Amino acid sequence: MIKIDKVIKNYQNGETEVKALRGVSLEIQKGEFTSIAGPSGSGKTTLLNLIGCIDKLDLGEISIKGEKVSSMNKKEKTSFRRQNLGFIFQTYNLIPVLSAYENVAFVLSLLDVSEKDVHTRTMNVLKEVGLEGMEDRKPAKLSGGQQQRVAIARALVKDPEIVLADEPTANLDSTTGEDILKLMKSMNEKLGTTFIFSTHDPMVMDYAGRIVLLHDGLIKSDKNRR
Amino acid sequence: MKFLISLAFKNLTRYRRRTLITAGAIAVGIMMFIMIDSMLRGAEYESVRNLKWYETASARIYNSEYWENRHQMPLDINITDYKEKVQKLEEKGYTAAPRISFSGELILNVIDFGEDGSMPIEVTAIDPQRDFEVFHFKDTLVEGRFLQPGEDGILLGSWFAEDIGAKVGAWVTVVTRGNGGFYQSMDLEIVGILNCPNPNVNRSLLMMPISTASDYLEMEGAATEINIRLADNANVKAETAKIKSITGNNSLSVYSWEDLAFDFLAIAEAKRGGSSMILVLIFIIAAVGISNTMLMAIFERTRELGMMRALGMSDSSIRLTFMFEAMGIGLIGSIMGVTLGICINFYVVNVGFDFGFMLRDIDIGYRIQSVMRGVWNFDTTAIAFLAGIIITTIVALLPTRRALRMDIPSCLRS
Ligand SMILES: Nc1ncnc2c1ncn2[C@@H]1O[C@H](COP(=O)(O)OP(=O)(O)O)[C@@H](O)[C@H]1O
Ligand SMILES: [Mg+2]
Repeated sequence: MIKIDKVIKNYQNGETEVKALRGVSLEIQKGEFTSIAGPSGSGKTTLLNLIGCIDKLDLGEISIKGEKVSSMNKKEKTSFRRQNLGFIFQTYNLIPVLSAYENVAFVLSLLDVSEKDVHTRTMNVLKEVGLEGMEDRKPAKLSGGQQQRVAIARALVKDPEIVLADEPTANLDSTTGEDILKLMKSMNEKLGTTFIFSTHDPMVMDYAGRIVLLHDGLIKSDKNRR
Repeated sequence: MKFLISLAFKNLTRYRRRTLITAGAIAVGIMMFIMIDSMLRGAEYESVRNLKWYETASARIYNSEYWENRHQMPLDINITDYKEKVQKLEEKGYTAAPRISFSGELILNVIDFGEDGSMPIEVTAIDPQRDFEVFHFKDTLVEGRFLQPGEDGILLGSWFAEDIGAKVGAWVTVVTRGNGGFYQSMDLEIVGILNCPNPNVNRSLLMMPISTASDYLEMEGAATEINIRLADNANVKAETAKIKSITGNNSLSVYSWEDLAFDFLAIAEAKRGGSSMILVLIFIIAAVGISNTMLMAIFERTRELGMMRALGMSDSSIRLTFMFEAMGIGLIGSIMGVTLGICINFYVVNVGFDFGFMLRDIDIGYRIQSVMRGVWNFDTTAIAFLAGIIITTIVALLPTRRALRMDIPSCLRS
């Protein structure tokens, strides 16, 4: 499903070069619930950005569903993300002027989905994430956990093959964070969506099916917990 | 698309105060545009009217050699037997008035004016019966009475009268050279004072009966010019050609009011150029305002933009969203500006601004004595409305381009 092959990524930080990824190879199968773990600065975000086709690697190759990311141009990447990838962010990144419903439906408006389908699919996914009855609330009227639920609904509404989540629980207290992980896990089981999420929270480990531990831009360990 | 528009308009409500301030700046620009344009058009419209009514008539016949020498106001380059020519013109349905214009010296005596004095002047000798048919001096009498044919009387413009301290009933002497070059002096009684709305005329007007002048100057039935009034909607070019053929005389030439007032028209043209500079300036200021506002809006939403781009929203859709947002601000500004502009224009058109304090002594080219009034112009209002929307929409493109050049991870990290 996802094949990461000897990926190297450097950042230019003024005069100095920061080696964010120093040769990472990894294969992720369809339906896996994978955690990218590691301390701050170890390269988690960089790796997720590369898989998410929003950053360019320096060396190596990533292919998703058999497609080489490096051979896609900007337009093709945008379209690829639109069709295949869902994103969940640490800071939720909801549009404050839109209701929960509109924040989710927005994703479908980018795709060729009929208005009727937009409605049923949005209502369904909001129900799945436990936000029934809160569709009309603006983000400011929702708790952090509820906002992240909207974000999960937003990521899942288009039924993508892969959902990428960069530290989805980092802004939440531990109970709420756990609820969010449980929700993600249940969606993974129910829909078969591939989840890749980063974290530096040890609690997360209990839920992950596989834990890839990064350290200084290299994979330190890769454990399958099944 | 529907979603983009609704998002753009919802974004407008995010910072209501900023939206309103920016729209307000645009509105002020549009209002000024409407107001200034209205006043300039009004001034020009009224100037043209006052030119035709008091200075040039619609068209004028001169001896063909007169134009070159017009500054000397020669009496010997004239239209002979003007009565016959006027009659011919009237038979063809034209309203015509002969005049003799000449220059001379005005002598003021110590008894009527407190001290002796003299000054160069230009005198217009008119046919008291016909002149009112062509020119509009009828309603301008403020003191005394109009001229009677053949009398030794003179009318003064009220500013001129004020300047020399003239009163109705006083006597003045006009010294000039008659037709042939002999010296002549005429004692004339001031019979009336006219307040002419055309300041250039009111500043210098001296009018006497044509028959009196004709006798004193030995014109032998000749006039220096014949003035013609045409309907407001007349095709002046076609009419002058027709008049020329009626005179059937190669020694005469016909000039339209545009020929006669070419210097005014040149000034008006230059003024229009200058004022469009002011308008451009107003719009630049509004454009800077909107570009700044959009820059702030985009800067504040960088992370949101990163999210939308990550989720697969295309650059063109993002650009469109910001353009719609700017368009919304432009629309609010345009509606406010046009509304304000129309309200103010009611005042500008019906009451106007009194520049009398300035126009009394300074000739700015416009033939307006004191109150400058505007005119309604639908085109200007429509252009201002559309310009407000189009300019803001286009200006929003620049900051959007900047935001889209940033890579997505940087957007998300900000
Ligand atoms: N845009 C960037 N410019 C310079 N250095 C960067 C940039 N992004 C990340 N880095 C550096 O790359 C390394 C890995 O960063 P990151 O992938 O964000 O780690 P993590 O997400 O695990 O905290 C860090 O040392 C970080 O400072
Ligand atoms: Mg990170």
